[in-house]
Amino acid sequence: MAEYKLMKGNEVIAEAAIRCGCDAYFGYPITPQSEILETLTLRQPWLETGMVVLQAESEVAAINMVYGGAACGKKVMTSSSSPGISLKQEGITYLAGAELPCLVVNVVRGGPGLGTIQPAQSDYFQSVKGGGHGDYKLIVLAPASVQEMNDFVDLGFELAFKYRNPALILSDGVIGQMMEKVKLSPVKPRWTNEEVIKLNGSWATTGKTADRPRNVATSLELDSARQEQFNHKLQAKYKEIQEKEVRFEKIACDDAEYLFVAYGSSSRICQKAIDLAREKGIKVGLLRPITLFPYPTKAIQEMAEKVKGILAVEMSAGQMVEDVRLAVNGKVKVEHFGRFGGMIPSPNEVVKALEDLIIKG
Amino acid sequence: MSSANTLTRITPKNITDQEFFYGHKACAGCGGSLAVRLALKVLGERTYAAFPAGCMAAVGFIYPQMAFTNNAIITTFPGVASMASGIAVGAKALGIQNFKTVAFAGDGGTADIGLQALSGMIDRGDDVLYICYDNEAYMNTGIQKSGLTPFGTQTTTTPAGKNIHGSKTQKKNLFEIIAAHDIPYAATASIGYPQDYIDKVQKAAQVKGPAFIHVYASCPTGWGTPTETSVEIAKEAVDCGLFFLAEYENGDYRLTRNPKQFASVADYLKKQGRFKHLSDADIASIEAHRDHKWERMRRMWNHQ
Repeated sequence: MAEYKLMKGNEVIAEAAIRCGCDAYFGYPITPQSEILETLTLRQPWLETGMVVLQAESEVAAINMVYGGAACGKKVMTSSSSPGISLKQEGITYLAGAELPCLVVNVVRGGPGLGTIQPAQSDYFQSVKGGGHGDYKLIVLAPASVQEMNDFVDLGFELAFKYRNPALILSDGVIGQMMEKVKLSPVKPRWTNEEVIKLNGSWATTGKTADRPRNVATSLELDSARQEQFNHKLQAKYKEIQEKEVRFEKIACDDAEYLFVAYGSSSRICQKAIDLAREKGIKVGLLRPITLFPYPTKAIQEMAEKVKGILAVEMSAGQMVEDVRLAVNGKVKVEHFGRFGGMIPSPNEVVKALEDLIIKG
Repeated sequence: MSSANTLTRITPKNITDQEFFYGHKACAGCGGSLAVRLALKVLGERTYAAFPAGCMAAVGFIYPQMAFTNNAIITTFPGVASMASGIAVGAKALGIQNFKTVAFAGDGGTADIGLQALSGMIDRGDDVLYICYDNEAYMNTGIQKSGLTPFGTQTTTTPAGKNIHGSKTQKKNLFEIIAAHDIPYAATASIGYPQDYIDKVQKAAQVKGPAFIHVYASCPTGWGTPTETSVEIAKEAVDCGLFFLAEYENGDYRLTRNPKQFASVADYLKKQGRFKHLSDADIASIEAHRDHKWERMRRMWNHQ
């Protein structure tokens, strides 16, 4: 029997972590995501599954605890909101450089700086272009519902381990704070130590045995030729991810003459905007990227052949629109509409922007 | 430089009526805002104040309703001490004379995420007064445990239940961590003993170089106490010995209040929602910890 509950987005991240067999969560308070840490401490999963829940002394400490746990081949995660995610960037690039899997959750708030505690989508560049130093990518999943907050925890870990790469759930204050019905995932037991050795023993520091060379978790290579080789290997991995892991959703695209491209909470607003626009006779559809890296470039290219214009809708000053423009490559008009700094666009505003910037513009 | 004993002592009779932190949006009965308000009255308007992201930043800087009449700025959460260092040297480089730089941060911003920056500031000998208002949890984000949350406290990340009775760790010994830097002046204080606090701020303001005050500041929202008892409860914490008033100066520690007899720990704890769940055994263990700490402080510190 499937288990349904009415839950907050942040709470469901905590619940999904326990149910997917997460070994450890390392957190630190910051609005609007503190409920993840709070729900986990209240749920006491250490009694149930043995999962570690730990409040660190800073975001920097939390991500480096993740680095340590990930090196051991365990399913480990952390969460924060924008300023805290900025603090974690050094640890994240070390994890990517050491090819270690982990899950990071960002419940985005408006910036820059201390900004606001209200929702925004202004961490897109940081998430998909590499927030820390060096040539690396995160696998970025953008949930648009509380259900997807649940589903992407398991999916995030699955992809992170498949590619030995950090995965990021790029949520925002809307999805984190709102309540919706959610179908909870079935409970998966945590990996036993034997399973960790079997699954991850080729790279994780599980204890060297006589029959294999030592496993080294490092992002350091002082020999430049070898560092270049390693970077080629990383790039080949990202290419493979780009080829195999693109996820997106198309809504009302079959007869669409115009297209919205929007992810996360903006895509929910666009769904209502589609209804309003179609009442006015404007045939508009939505392409919702679910993975932000890998980006659904091809799908957008294909849609650019069919529609007269594309409006990228984001709660930012215009970040993802750059990737839409790269995909479209001048074929049709691409414009950006966004509210930001904690403001959320209304469906009517989105329809008006479509009319003003794309149809009349 | 004038020495402390030639200064006119600031008392309730002569303290300025001028307000430097006024019209803010802090909760009723906020102990932290009282600590900031009193300190700024002592330090005066030629004071640069730095606050990390936290309660005081959230309630004092809501543009255009800025609650500060002196210069004040919000810093990154881990960076308040560093920014205060920068302000102090920047103002000096501009040739500005006769000014003070003060950093105000809560317990989490000081004892957890901000400790590295504070250590650097003291080590460099920067001319900054750092005041930690300690309400014993991350209150701004909704009452999560910090390194200064005492044993047995219920917070949202140390919930109390059958198995675990709130926070399992003891409060970090922040005052001695700071004193261990051989800082010119450090003190503990409580908003429940305002004259003692004012005296210490006045003394710290005379120090050339780094000074530090750890002020105990009640939080009705996080503690589950009536708003009108904030000053009283912060006094009781000292009277029952769970907080202490002390100074570190010229390499020596000194208890500035050394009560012959402690008030009841149980009475203090039972007035607060955050300690409601504690068993008699928990309270006995808190008392034992207090006694051990005081035995050591009395033996090691008060030689004169």
